[in-house]
Amino acid sequence: MKVVHYLNQFFAGIGGEDAAGTGPELRDGPVGPGRRLAALLGDEHEIVATAVCGDDHAAASSEFASALVEQARAQGAELLVAGPAFTSGRYGLACARIVSAATADGMPALAAMHPDNPGLAEAAGTVVVESGATAREMGPSLERLAAAVRKVAAGEALTAQDGRVGPVARSNRLAERSAAERAVALLLARLGGDREATEIPLPAFDQVTPAAPVGDPAEAVFALLTEGGFVPAGNPDRLESARATKWIRVSLEGRESAEAGTFESVHGGFSTQWANADPNRILPLDAARELEREGAIGGLHGEYFATTGNGTTVADARRFGVEWAAELRQAGIQAAILTAT
Amino acid sequence: MTGEPQRNVNGVGLRRLVHEVRELAFGERTSYASGRLTVSQEAARALVVDPALAEVRLACAAPGDPVRIVGALDAVQPCSKGPGGGGVFPGFLGPALPPGRGETHVLRGAAVLAAGYLPRAQEAVIDMFGPAAPLSPLACTHNLVVEFERADGAAWEDVEAAVRRGLLRVAVHLADAALDAEPDSVEELPAPGADPSGRPRVGVVTNLQTQGKFKDVFVYGRSLSGGLPTVISPNELDDGAVVSGQYGHPALKNPTYLHQTHPVVAALRVRDDLCLAALVLCPEPIEQGAKELVSAHAARLCAELGLDAAIVTKEGGGNADADVSLKLDRLEEEGIAAVGIFAEMAGRDGTGPPLVVPPSRATAMVSVGNYDERLSLPACERALGGDRLALLDRPATDALELPAAAIYCALSPLGWGRLTCHEAA
Repeated sequence: MKVVHYLNQFFAGIGGEDAAGTGPELRDGPVGPGRRLAALLGDEHEIVATAVCGDDHAAASSEFASALVEQARAQGAELLVAGPAFTSGRYGLACARIVSAATADGMPALAAMHPDNPGLAEAAGTVVVESGATAREMGPSLERLAAAVRKVAAGEALTAQDGRVGPVARSNRLAERSAAERAVALLLARLGGDREATEIPLPAFDQVTPAAPVGDPAEAVFALLTEGGFVPAGNPDRLESARATKWIRVSLEGRESAEAGTFESVHGGFSTQWANADPNRILPLDAARELEREGAIGGLHGEYFATTGNGTTVADARRFGVEWAAELRQAGIQAAILTAT
Repeated sequence: MTGEPQRNVNGVGLRRLVHEVRELAFGERTSYASGRLTVSQEAARALVVDPALAEVRLACAAPGDPVRIVGALDAVQPCSKGPGGGGVFPGFLGPALPPGRGETHVLRGAAVLAAGYLPRAQEAVIDMFGPAAPLSPLACTHNLVVEFERADGAAWEDVEAAVRRGLLRVAVHLADAALDAEPDSVEELPAPGADPSGRPRVGVVTNLQTQGKFKDVFVYGRSLSGGLPTVISPNELDDGAVVSGQYGHPALKNPTYLHQTHPVVAALRVRDDLCLAALVLCPEPIEQGAKELVSAHAARLCAELGLDAAIVTKEGGGNADADVSLKLDRLEEEGIAAVGIFAEMAGRDGTGPPLVVPPSRATAMVSVGNYDERLSLPACERALGGDRLALLDRPATDALELPAAAIYCALSPLGWGRLTCHEAA
């Protein structure tokens, strides 16, 4: 089978963070870890090309994925494989996106990443196999991926035994008894010493290591971010007031302050009366401009990002975070203030 | 029932005289006989009329009717302790003093329900028929629906207060009609207290949302906002000690009706092998530090009450998970077995992490379903509460696709429903 392999800029040998903005491109034959993968796949399958995109570019604009899948098709690709992305968030997101795009296009596809990779949440409905946590585990990760590629190429389903990981769908149904009656039954089990019984398996949450403090704020460009449902008056982008599935970017060029009537909050989780009377209290543009004038901060980014943090799913919130980080990195921003409501 | 007044509170219970309602209709005067509740529109409307309201309309909606109620607000079970309206709903209709003793008449199977627009109210839908009906407690009751229009220039706070007071008055008015009727059943509800049988002592810890106007819940007419947990007799719930003024989170809402008929309290009352020992009401603060304090304090109260186990409930979405999780953890640290009732917020396809803030110590959790999963509602003949569904900007009678989150009490955090979540096979 003809295979196209997806890598980020780092594993493709283009560069590190400085090259994370690299746009999508297709290179002939296997590259970097693709060479080892090609050897593991043997004569039966051939890596005809390597699809590459910088992590920031891929996280900020999901269109890279369909563009690369189209180019892969043009090269005669019959299967797409991505990664391993280990625990790298933007790389994992990119792998999830390109595998989703290929799957949607009817091409068999799979990715490899660590189960803690935030990109895994984006990979619903696709095939992901487990990799190690870091590139030190490249060898065994590629071996597992190669075995999975052979199975997928043969049209076989991958299971947990093959190292398949990823979100498992949970769906609603009616139980025999009410939740209150089931709570009492669970309580009796618990009193009987059963510490395992539950209806919700405990989710694993990732730990976020805070970034190092900004060295000299006077040299840093700051961005303003908010989950306060903060929109231009009239909400032209129709940001949701609850259960947000998207975020918006809005220019701050030429604005000294967030005047009442110019901006508003559409957040559904609190009374927006005072926020709308002085929108600066959700997005502190007035104070940030003052700091900028005083030279206390090096500058203010020309746009703000906003979503609504009200009943938003953890999976969506995590995706917004990865996308915002990539956007800000690409724009050369050193610091961000995210106001929470 | 109680004979001589007793100093020992443990001997003082509540007798519930239950009148089943199987039919609801308008008539010349409000009356109740053999399961048929007749309502005088004139008398009922007069109890709601207020300077803040330009118009008050009444309608009936019965289980199975091809009727959709949009903008559903609070609902109340009719109850009365005797003529005059005092005694129930303390702090609103009667003096702000603890109720929960003596006799209370209830009309089981009936509800008074408000529907319309209020600020901060998230649009809640009740289908009296079809696939969504089994998901909502208010699709199973004969509902007297109160629709209203705001008077020009009236403050929305005054509109809300008028509607709430009106619902409570009408609820008492309806139950008053059954005071002389032979009850269908008489239920003796002992007061909690010392239990010599040695059965496990179980508490119910119920968090009440406290997020300001239109998102607040009242105990004896007062908000718990800014306060600490308090212990009341579960029997006070039957007399309306807890009244909702919380209109957010349609599926995760606890209307007055469900406090009056608290499903976890009801499930514990019928157990012979467990002793319902206490009801702990807690505010749901919006700050993390306050959540931690309230949770630690609630767990201490439960320990002081000598509880062996507790079931923790909440109201509302994301951040309210923290109030349950923190309490479960603190209770387990006190050596009290703890079970929490949670809704899952796992995205449309059900693959996202289900909880915003899971417990770190406790493990026993009941799922009332995924609130992001969507369901299809068929078109219907008649809508109450409004002509349009603002959420989708569509005629309210249209066929609709909605998340479970929009269906009134579909994921009742008080445990009313049968909805739950399973991993797809």
